[in-house]
Amino acid sequence: MIRLENVSYSYPGGTPALRNINLEIEEGEFLGIIGRNGSGKSTLALHLNGLLRPEKGKVTVRGLDTRDFARLPEIRKLVGIVFQNPETQFVGRTVEEDLAFGPENLCLSPAEIRVRVDRVLAETGLEKYRHRSPKTLSGGQGQCTALAGVLTMEPECLVFDEVTSMLDPGSGTAVLKRIEGLREKGKTIVYVTHNLEELHAADRVIVMEQGKIVREGQPEKLFSDLPGDPGLALPSLIELAAQLRAHGIHVPWEKTRSPETFAEEICRLFSKT
Amino acid sequence: MPIILKNVNFAYAKKTPLETPALRDINLRIEKGEFVGIFGEKGAGKSTLMKLFNGLLRQDSGSVSVDGLDPSSREVKRKVGMLFQQAADQLFCRTVHEEIAFGPTNFGFSKEETEERVLEALKAVSLDREVLLRSPFSLSGGEMQRVALASALALRPDYLVLDEPITGLDPGGKTETLEALKRIREQGTTVVTVTHNLKGFFPLLERVVLMQEGRIVFQGSREEYLEAGCGPLPPVASLMRELKNRGLPVNPAAFTVKAALEEILKAKSAFEEKT
Repeated sequence: MIRLENVSYSYPGGTPALRNINLEIEEGEFLGIIGRNGSGKSTLALHLNGLLRPEKGKVTVRGLDTRDFARLPEIRKLVGIVFQNPETQFVGRTVEEDLAFGPENLCLSPAEIRVRVDRVLAETGLEKYRHRSPKTLSGGQGQCTALAGVLTMEPECLVFDEVTSMLDPGSGTAVLKRIEGLREKGKTIVYVTHNLEELHAADRVIVMEQGKIVREGQPEKLFSDLPGDPGLALPSLIELAAQLRAHGIHVPWEKTRSPETFAEEICRLFSKT
Repeated sequence: MPIILKNVNFAYAKKTPLETPALRDINLRIEKGEFVGIFGEKGAGKSTLMKLFNGLLRQDSGSVSVDGLDPSSREVKRKVGMLFQQAADQLFCRTVHEEIAFGPTNFGFSKEETEERVLEALKAVSLDREVLLRSPFSLSGGEMQRVALASALALRPDYLVLDEPITGLDPGGKTETLEALKRIREQGTTVVTVTHNLKGFFPLLERVVLMQEGRIVFQGSREEYLEAGCGPLPPVASLMRELKNRGLPVNPAAFTVKAALEEILKAKSAFEEKT
């Protein structure tokens, strides 16, 4: 879907933010990107639809080079990005207008825009807010509107940059569920976060440090290697599972997802012995 | 002397069609030297509550006093330091030094006194003196958060009231900020924080206040809160509760990975003895 070849980038006057990145994002994949603040993960995300273009190397989206200005509209149709703060992403006076903004810019017919906006409103459960100003919504509803605004463009790949970090846990879980649902519909998902708990469903996770990819792998394997990494806090249930393993109690990876499944598994293991 | 709220009610946009009750019949006592966490869902009234502590909002009925003083008094503004969500947005000076000196200068302290306070506050949040001449906007998220903390500390407040102080920081920044808060508390400042981050704050808290729809539905020690299980719990504590509900003899007050490990191993050997 997206290929990065030897990509380097520095912000004007700043230190290098990306150093020689090579990465291939497959169609339909759920890729997690983790790293501390300043590790280059957001800069990487901004390269995925040409919002930033590499200084060296190249980024291609289904073969389209992001340095080719003429191809940018096509690229942005394929790859949509949702950012951290919902409020900075609103352009419309009402939720409905906000959702129409993207497809309008794709020069679709008013009839087609209507169809898309109505469908996305229904899918995301935002119908009842359609005439509200997005600025009056709660954090979770706001982030959902930002996501809906990208969905109306019908992208193939969605990039999420720390979208839950400003939400309370309840709204965060709801947004995450919605994202996992998109993946089931075959969309490619790139999910940037520093919360490892959110990457349970990822197919693959890359860890960034100082503009480089320093580790890569399935979350299950990767997380069992990570303890002791000061910049990345391991979810406590995963840490507990790792320590229990040392005492001969094996709670499989999929069961570490919630306290309920974890407890069920412990009880099952105990009753077996 | 503590912060005392008695039968406090507060509504936004009073006497308009948009009137929204935010606090209902609040009774709360925050003792000096405690580390208090205020939990609750969005819209529960947490942020509204904290704004009563230094007179930013005024109750419609009931009473609020800080060390026996009315919150609108000048002395209370100094006594109660407050940081809002995304404290980095509250930074506005050209250098870190100006930022931290802003409060003491406004309170009319002498140059020497201000200087002393700036250095003391900087030390309290473990920032190096070399950041003083840097722009606060050139710092990392965790550093900016600590500069914001330092600028509140420069007034030597008796109470430090914080709204989601670690939200949006990366794990490193979170740890730095939590460590700074721990030290601040150890030096005798009362810390009250509104938070959703149970995992990060739980080890520091002494008391928990749980809010729901403008009311306080629980207040008590951290252990009582874990025992009651009436509100959100850190992941490990929820696991303990789940295990206990399934009949395993574990202590539901364990909330660290280490304590949970011990509890589970104990439960295992108890189980093996039985069979």
